Amino acid sequence: MNNMDRRTFLKVSAAAGALVIATPNLSFAQSGANSRYRNLDANLGFYLKIDPDNTITIGYSVPDDGTGVSTALPMIVAEELDVDFDAVKVEKLPPLYKTEKGADGHDDQEYRGQTIHQSTGGSQAIRRSYVMLRQAGAEARDRLKMAAVDEIGAPFEELTTENGFVVNGNKCIAYGALVEKAARVKLNAEPKLKEPEDYKIIGTKRPQKIARDVATGQQKYCMDMELPGMLNAVIARCPYIDGLVKSFDASEALKVPGVRHVFHMKRIPEDRSEQKYIADGIAVLADSHWAALKGREALEIEWDDTMWAHANNAWIDQNFDNLVANAPRNIRLEHGDFDKAYAEADKTLEVAYEQPYWAHATMETPCGIADVTADKVKVIAGNQTAVRVMNDLMNVLPGYTHDQFDVTIMRLGSGFGRKFIVDAVTEAALCSKEVGRPVKVIWTREDDLEQDFYNPKGRHIFRGGIDKNGKLIAANYLHCSTDNDFATHAFPAHHVPNYRGEVIDSKVLPSGPWRGPTENVAGYAMQSFVDEMAHLAGKDPLEYRLDMFRETGDTPHPDFSSDYMRADRFINVLQMAAKNAGWGKELPKGHGMGVASFMTFGGYAACVVEVKVDDDGTLTIINACGAADPGIAINPQGCEAQIESGTLDGFSAALGQKIEIEGGRVVNNNFDSYIMARIGSMPHKFTPEVARNFIEPRGLGEMSLPPAIPALCNAIFAACGVRIRKLPIADQLMQAMRA
Amino acid sequence: MVTFTVNGKSHTFDGDEDMPLLWYLREDAKLTGTKFGCGIAMCGACTVHMGGIAQRSCSIPMAAVDGENIVTIEGLGSGNELHAVQQAWIDEDVAQCGFCQSGQIMATVSFLQDYPNPTDQDIDDNLDNLCRCASYVRIRKAIHRAASVLRGEM
Repeated sequence: MNNMDRRTFLKVSAAAGALVIATPNLSFAQSGANSRYRNLDANLGFYLKIDPDNTITIGYSVPDDGTGVSTALPMIVAEELDVDFDAVKVEKLPPLYKTEKGADGHDDQEYRGQTIHQSTGGSQAIRRSYVMLRQAGAEARDRLKMAAVDEIGAPFEELTTENGFVVNGNKCIAYGALVEKAARVKLNAEPKLKEPEDYKIIGTKRPQKIARDVATGQQKYCMDMELPGMLNAVIARCPYIDGLVKSFDASEALKVPGVRHVFHMKRIPEDRSEQKYIADGIAVLADSHWAALKGREALEIEWDDTMWAHANNAWIDQNFDNLVANAPRNIRLEHGDFDKAYAEADKTLEVAYEQPYWAHATMETPCGIADVTADKVKVIAGNQTAVRVMNDLMNVLPGYTHDQFDVTIMRLGSGFGRKFIVDAVTEAALCSKEVGRPVKVIWTREDDLEQDFYNPKGRHIFRGGIDKNGKLIAANYLHCSTDNDFATHAFPAHHVPNYRGEVIDSKVLPSGPWRGPTENVAGYAMQSFVDEMAHLAGKDPLEYRLDMFRETGDTPHPDFSSDYMRADRFINVLQMAAKNAGWGKELPKGHGMGVASFMTFGGYAACVVEVKVDDDGTLTIINACGAADPGIAINPQGCEAQIESGTLDGFSAALGQKIEIEGGRVVNNNFDSYIMARIGSMPHKFTPEVARNFIEPRGLGEMSLPPAIPALCNAIFAACGVRIRKLPIADQLMQAMRA
Repeated sequence: MVTFTVNGKSHTFDGDEDMPLLWYLREDAKLTGTKFGCGIAMCGACTVHMGGIAQRSCSIPMAAVDGENIVTIEGLGSGNELHAVQQAWIDEDVAQCGFCQSGQIMATVSFLQDYPNPTDQDIDDNLDNLCRCASYVRIRKAIHRAASVLRGEM
């Protein structure tokens, strides 16, 4: 495999940037023909509001579900604009939709030929906004300078900007005094973007703008909002997979004081061979949430549970057994001759790793508010993608045009991929249409855990062979899963000369993206496998990985968000985490250290974990060190938060999370039975580190989870010799140590 | 008729006394800083103080609130002055999505009354509010910071 020519890459990136900048289009300051500036009365383009008193407000287009984009994105604008970021206010922009309808509905509006990114997910927010937001800030800055030329009495070229002022010698004018003129001036040249070396805001640690509102309870989420005259709905959704309402009796429910309406809400789509979007159920609408809940409890419903009555965890496992033995395999990647190399290997190992279904369990359960009237659809949502909210609603509300929609997207009480799906607000819209009043739908935690779009359950079967020197020369990775995603090009696919990657699919519960979809479990499986091969070879697990990267160099990765994987960036994050954890130091008895790394959506992450396993199997996570290289770090403080969160979220999933299915339904439907980690099982010591470079940014929301789980499992093996081949860890160690 | 105070103001309630305090606070009193997370007292997003002690309001029926003094996140500070725990949450930039943090703060205030100089083990043993974003590293730092401030050391 060839090393990628880095100079070629740099040239390509620069050309891409130049192309974007050169695209002839409306100036952003002049393209404000959109009349939908509801919550940000911008006066200098999409993103900016500058008041006469020089208060600067910067809008952000991406909903924030906790990744910190409401601070990081405005930092990018502020960098080029030259303002005091501590004094900047930030506000969520209203959704900006294209007026014309495309094949997939109404797309995000564009600025200079680039999509205004309005979605959180895929760790895309920074990546897809970085160039455009700098251009927006730079154009505003140059307009303000141009507007100051006459008043200051110096040519444009001799003006500079600083902390919200245009400056020349000892003369300065506040932006607030220039903004009206700035919106009208004509620029003579394309605004010049700063060199990263000159950044004063990007790359500095900044606290989140929402910190005070959260700490005082003032931050509003969808669940906190109301519309005048609103009814509250709860829905009894069929708990059986792809089941239906057979019959129902609402008479007792309607006697509950405050209950106003009870009606059947039909499954969408009706074809039950397609994944559920809206579950079949009975909606109860009442004056208060509590009355609606009581009404729901009083319902008599008979369900049709026939489609998946046979499904439970053991049945899915047996089904996997059958599929692995008999089903045709879809080969995704093959090079060399695995069968020959495996047959000739010095030592071989065949292992399987399994993970259960995981739920998203977003802290704010799904929720939506809608008011559907004859000529208008007003919605308040807490979803991850602006365009999906309106487009999905247009699908169930035919006859309404885009200009009749008024969509507000709130800060999300976490998303993790769950809130791509616009189900709760769609239910609210259908309820509102039914009764002619605004309706708010709140899901209970039971609703949420029973009706999720789960991270798929899967089995990862590896056969690996090493030569006399311990080098991994043959590997076959078979992924049998309830979803068809496969980490085709992930390490070590291209680092093993004889490799085959293949998949078998089946479908049971509805599935959807869950923090680092595919990568989240591929990281566990592939990095556990590499660890096992290192031990088989009698090598240090860290050095074993580093050697593979050094020997193979950069590798192709023609997949979502990245074209190839860079060896030096992997080596760097591995060494950062290892150094911070003191890899190789002597550890007390019962302690062990594990390492893992993974690239997710173009961002590199590594994790080193130290654990203690007592003689009775009690597990303590002593220390964790996460390192990440997302490219240029906009807000290192936010990056560190995502490293902490991704790592600990991974630990939480690995330690206890498992969806239990019995009789065709999910049975562990609240936090008494779906076990998520609390502070007491988390490490007392944690060291995050972000790489410092000027490489085009990727994201960090998802990167740190995929290596965290295998680093933990590899540490457990190092501590006590027990290999975790099935998640969750639960009480496996206690059982193993007892045996 | 149930009579009680919320953040120092007197309130009366004559509706369904089975209703949990959480929904009174959110829908009747419009104090939405107290959050719904699970409804079975397992996550702590709804934590408020009743008689100065942290309680999970999703599982306290209105009947049990008679004569009680309730404090919510909105009433924790005095005027513009924040409680030391709130300030510590800001200083450590704890929040990710932020949805659980009102409950985390209310639980911590109550915890620090009993453990003014907490060890990590005290925290592990006594606080079990769920943070779905797993912001536990910063929560721990903020607890220690707030404890130092309340002891007059910072």
